[in-house]
Amino acid sequence: MRTVPLKNNLEANNVTFGDRFGIEIPLLTHDNDKEYGYIRDSVGITDFSFMQKYVIPEETALDFLDGLVAGNVAKTRFGRVLHTFLANDDGQIVADCFIANNDEEYVLLCESIVDDATLQQILDSQGAAEAECKNVTDEQIVISIDGFKAWSVAKEVFGTDVLGLPYLSIEMYPFEDTEIHLFRAGKTSEFGYLIMAPKELGEKLFSTLLEAAKKHKGGLCGVAIHNDLRLEGRFFNIFAEGMHVKDPLSLGLQWMIDFDKDSYIGQEAIQKRREEGLTKKIIGVSALGDCDSFTEGAHIMYEGKSVATVEAVCYSPILNRKIGLALFSVDLAYAGLTFTVEGSDDQVTTISMPPIMPKSLSVKLDEL
Amino acid sequence: MPEDIQRIIERRKAVITTFKEDLINRLNLPYTAEDLHEDVSLIGAGLGLDSLDVLEIVLCVENAFNIKIPDNNTSVLRSINTIVDFIISEQDKQGEAA
Repeated sequence: MRTVPLKNNLEANNVTFGDRFGIEIPLLTHDNDKEYGYIRDSVGITDFSFMQKYVIPEETALDFLDGLVAGNVAKTRFGRVLHTFLANDDGQIVADCFIANNDEEYVLLCESIVDDATLQQILDSQGAAEAECKNVTDEQIVISIDGFKAWSVAKEVFGTDVLGLPYLSIEMYPFEDTEIHLFRAGKTSEFGYLIMAPKELGEKLFSTLLEAAKKHKGGLCGVAIHNDLRLEGRFFNIFAEGMHVKDPLSLGLQWMIDFDKDSYIGQEAIQKRREEGLTKKIIGVSALGDCDSFTEGAHIMYEGKSVATVEAVCYSPILNRKIGLALFSVDLAYAGLTFTVEGSDDQVTTISMPPIMPKSLSVKLDEL
Repeated sequence: MPEDIQRIIERRKAVITTFKEDLINRLNLPYTAEDLHEDVSLIGAGLGLDSLDVLEIVLCVENAFNIKIPDNNTSVLRSINTIVDFIISEQDKQGEAA
């Protein structure tokens, strides 16, 4: 198993660990409410080193990456980040990817539902060696700074310049005399930054960011709370709905795809399904009342038949009720309908997503 | 399917179709109406529209539905579905006032 590089620091903060696909992850800090509050109201620091990380030289990156992922890497301007996915030959999603065009290199960050070796095999099948694609997963750590006040921590550590970075951009900043990568790319619907740095700087970077976060009444978070935050903000979560559904079209990820591209892994299968038309799609669902039966895997019923399966669910503190995502037949995939949950009288209603208005949307960083 | 549910679906479907087609034309988006999931984020993440695109959305709602989105109402502009909710709610208000 690939272990957490910052384990000592995280253990000292009472973090509990879990694993996903042979990769150890810092799951939680034993206080879900606090972690949630850090990110929605202040700032949370989370170790995202579980991500797979690759660096590819500019000369070979375009051909290699364009043949790999569904999005159009060639259209990604210098300094910008493309959010797209990697599929298998069947057009089933394998990894949620950020690809950064960073001057003389491209950086690929993956959240995947396969182990490191399998992902490497997929990359190798597309010519990773010939493209000089360097796997830096074990050499680099990634720390995520998320929250309404995430920009304050980024500004304090890296300078005022970070405030000018648009969403989905990359920039290099000095830290301890080393240039490190800063991605403006969160998935909580609050401000977010991913910092990629050499492992040797990990402990210093972690403690610096955590201390800065504490000044703003923020703190350490585990990876698990991000499941709830992504669902509330309706950000795609490969570790929740993406683990069960896998079809990017049913998941509503068409915006990650360039349908005019020549080829990428899974293109034929995805294109075929697109031409045949959607039969199912994932939409938001909200509990009416306590709704104990509204859990992952539960069937949503209409006229005695199952019309949907719950694929992700969480309790939303802002809304004070459970919300989720369910895979519906397209003819019923509309907000405003009420259904029952199998084996109970519990009722759920289909809703528009995202159901919350994050505080960060009310702040304009370039006007601060 | 009961008539009341059918009515809710048909009404929503009509607003969604009109809005999506106008949006695709105005912004020259490289997608079909079916490609655009109603919950996709419009600003920043998802479609990643900018402030000029947002103006087009506001105009789209005004022209196609004769409904004004108040200035700085970013809450309405979170997704296609939240815009559709707003349109339907405003149509209901107009219906009650008439």
